[in-house]
Formats: sequence, structure tokens, C-alpha cells
Amino acid sequence: MSASQSSAGPTGPLGHIYRTTEQVRAELGTAPVSLDATSDPAVYKQEQDKIFRKTWLKVATGWELPNPGDWKVKEIAVAGASVIIVRGKDGVVRAFHNVCTHRGNKVIPSTGFETHGRARANVLTCRFHGWVFSTDGPLKSVPMKDAFGELDTACLGLRPIACDMWEGFVFINFDPVPAQSLADFLGDFGRLFAGYPYHESTTAFRYSTVLECNWKVALYAFSEGYHVPTIHAGSLPGFSGVEHTDFKLMGPHASSTIYGGGMDTAPSTLAFAKILHGADAHCPHPEQLPADINATRRSDFQFELPTIFPNFIIHLASGCGYPGLSFFTHQFWPLDHGRTLWEGTNYFRPAQNAAEDVAQRHVNALHRNAWLEDTATMEDTFTGIMSGVIDEMQLMDNEFMIRHAAQALDTMLSA
Amino acid sequence: MTDAIAPLPAAFAQLQGFTERWALPTENQRSAVRWTSSKDEFATFHEAVMPHLDAIMAALADQPIPPADPALRSLYLLACAFAEAAPHHDLYNGSAKVPFSFDAHRFEAAHGDIAY
Repeated sequence: MSASQSSAGPTGPLGHIYRTTEQVRAELGTAPVSLDATSDPAVYKQEQDKIFRKTWLKVATGWELPNPGDWKVKEIAVAGASVIIVRGKDGVVRAFHNVCTHRGNKVIPSTGFETHGRARANVLTCRFHGWVFSTDGPLKSVPMKDAFGELDTACLGLRPIACDMWEGFVFINFDPVPAQSLADFLGDFGRLFAGYPYHESTTAFRYSTVLECNWKVALYAFSEGYHVPTIHAGSLPGFSGVEHTDFKLMGPHASSTIYGGGMDTAPSTLAFAKILHGADAHCPHPEQLPADINATRRSDFQFELPTIFPNFIIHLASGCGYPGLSFFTHQFWPLDHGRTLWEGTNYFRPAQNAAEDVAQRHVNALHRNAWLEDTATMEDTFTGIMSGVIDEMQLMDNEFMIRHAAQALDTMLSA
Repeated sequence: MTDAIAPLPAAFAQLQGFTERWALPTENQRSAVRWTSSKDEFATFHEAVMPHLDAIMAALADQPIPPADPALRSLYLLACAFAEAAPHHDLYNGSAKVPFSFDAHRFEAAHGDIAY
């Protein structure tokens, strides 16, 4: 079955999210898509104000912060913010601006884009003057407090940021009063992807780099499977029978499924795959996929390919594609109009012995190498766009998520 | 960990000559070696280890991460290096750079300096 013959999919509670190719064409159109939002630096300011300061953004996973007091500082340039995500003594994960309410110093000094640590005695202490905050926010003590004359400590807790969790993923929203709850924002996407045991895949191989391109160039490059036979000819040789289908539209989010007949697998990879496929924790588990992903449980399922507005992707594989790979994520953080922090993470269930660990490192290396192939295009693409030679994208059916994301962006910016 | 690499288990003594170059404790250290390896070095490493790969994995199958036994830890680190280097021989014709790829030096591995 080719993409152009794709069926509309199941008719259950989420049946309305499925689209045939013809329905996608009718709904999203087939005309070229303007590149103005990518090329125009002025759009970046609009994106900051209307999207990244208003929308739910994934910033962590719960299993990164397994114990009370565990914290992570994330620098989010697009919102001009340094953010503390911390698990309190009560087990709740909260987010705060990393700003001391005394004079504005960072409560937790950070290095790079992400910094991890653990609070002692569930307090965070600013190194500047020693103001002490509870991990749930309130200001607990101030050195030489009496010398301030007046100090309303009850109003001087860490400044909170709206924070909520979905399936173990931590999201924040910089809007003091978010227009939607996280559940409402995710909507059908949240229902479609719910139920997979993401939290069991706590072994993470995370890579990042700063790309000299607009963030949407990077997002779009990971939002389609059209490029697989060409860009990945080196790392995925002989990848056959690729079918990109089961198109799904869910508000600002979209998804689709990659099926495939496999590839020319090297003997070393076969040896490592044998280790992972022989262990229940790592072998393919198509039955663990949510019911509406690969709903017919086809044996050639590789992974689900979604875009979560505005900048997050969860590729759900359940061990069915790359051996042992549970899922992998991409996130694209604008640093300015022409610079992007890309983060890619491979998630596995924990290896139970040294052999499984080695096998996972092989699979991780294969996939990391494929990402090196992906990222090779992005700066060249942006340079080409900024040359002004073209002003629109030509998009085929399997690139519908780019078209959809561009339309969702336009809708948000024009609101 | 910066301690000297212990000799491999006796059953894998014929691979001992590869440990000094390849059996390094962090991914970043192993990547630095991969990026400077020649086609011949990848081929020699691959051809030496591949016939023993199943036996290596069997020896590591009941071991913690990393193995506590110094000899098995050396074997584990050599296997990690092989796991990461094998694609260069199998897929990239011995090229240290993934063909038509982004500069690998610009990828930062969050776990890259964790030593085993």
C-alpha cells in the first residue's frame, strides 16, 4: 500500500484524527509554502512573544529528577529565561525562574544549556548572599534579615512558572495564566500517545549542538521521511519498503507512521541485535504501543513520527525499529533568528548486564551517526533560504507535517 | 577513571594489543580515537574482534556495568569501542567521518565524560 493509497485508519474514539492522503491534500492544500517565516528575522520576535512565551514547552522528564531535591536548570534563550525544574519534598515537580528575589542573581549558577544537581535538605541557596528557598518555592531564610528594616518574606519566594506533567514529560508555560491546561493543549495528541511506559526507558544518550540555522529548518528536517533513502544511504543502506502513512492531524500537532522492510544489516549489528532481541526488556514490544499507533499491529512497523507544536518530537518505536530502542526525542530551541540548539536523545530500558550495555551503545552509535547525516543539511538549507533565491517550499505528501506545522505557526502568529 | 588498563581475560589475550588504543573509559575519549583512525586501523580492529564478538558478549552477559573484575572491565571497554567503531568499517568504507555528515566534533554528548 503506498502513501497515496493510505487508509483513513481506525474508526474508534480517535478515528477522527486519521487522514488519507487525499484528505490531507484537501485540508492542508498542495500549493508551495512561503519561507517568509523562516527567512524574516522580524518573525522571530513574534514567535518569542506569541508562541514560546505562551505555549506549553517540554523541558524535562520526570525520571531525570527521580528523588526529592533533584533539580535541573535549563537556559531558555527564546524566552530570555533561566528555569529551575525541581522535585520537591512532596514529590511534586515544579518550575521556577532561576532568579533570586533579593537582587536578581541566579539562585543556581548554571553551565551550558542544562545543569543538573540535587538540593541538600530540600533547599536552594543563592550563593550571592545566602538567601535560602525551599524546593517548593517559599523563601525560608535570609541572612541578617533584621538589617533590612522591612522585608515581606512571604512574598519573596521563587517566582513560579506554570508546570505540569504528561506521561512523565515535564512541560512549562511562561504565560502567568496559560490560556489552556496542558491536557487541553495536547488534546488528542495526549490521548493518542498516552499509555506507553515511557518512564521505564531511563537510559538516555543525549546529544546536542548549536546549529547556524532558524529553528524551523531543523524541525522540518526531522518531520518527514522523504529524505531517508538519500540522506541516510550511508547509515541505513538498503532500507527497503519504506512506507510513510497513517497520517494524523490533532490541532497544532500531527503524526504519521513509518513502516519499512528493514535494511542491509552488518554482521556486527546482527550480533548486537541478537543480545537485545533476546531480552524481554529490549525486544520488540508492538503490543505496548498505544492502540491507535500501528493499530493493525503490522510487523514492519518502524516508528511513529509526530510533531508536537511547537518544538518537540517523540519518535515512538517500542523496540520495533532500531534494536532495543524504546523511543527517541528531538527538541529545537531557538537561540536567535539564525541559531538553534538541537537536542536529540535515545531512550532505552536500563541494560541489565554489561553485554546489553555494549549492544545499546552500538545501536546508539548507529542512530547518532544517522543524526549526523540529518544535521548536515540544516545550515546549508538555511544559507540557501537566506540567499533569497527561493521564497517558498515545494512539499510532497510525506512532508505534510511541515505544511501542517507552518500553518499552525501562522495561525498562532496571526491570533 | 584514569587507571591503567588491566590485561584482558586469558581467553581473549590475542586482543590485548588493541586495548591501549581502544579500551578507553569514556565515550568522548573513544570518539577522539575514532576520529583519528585510518581505514586500516578500523579494518584491523574489526577483523580481530569480529570472530570473538559472540564470545565477548557471552563473557559480559553476567557482568555488572562496568564489570568489577579488572580483566572483564578491560574487555567491556574494548567491546564498547568496537560497538562504536564497527560502523566505520561496516558502513563507511573505513572513513573516520560519517560520509556527507555534520561535523561530529560539534555534537556534545551529555554522557560523554562519564567513565566506566
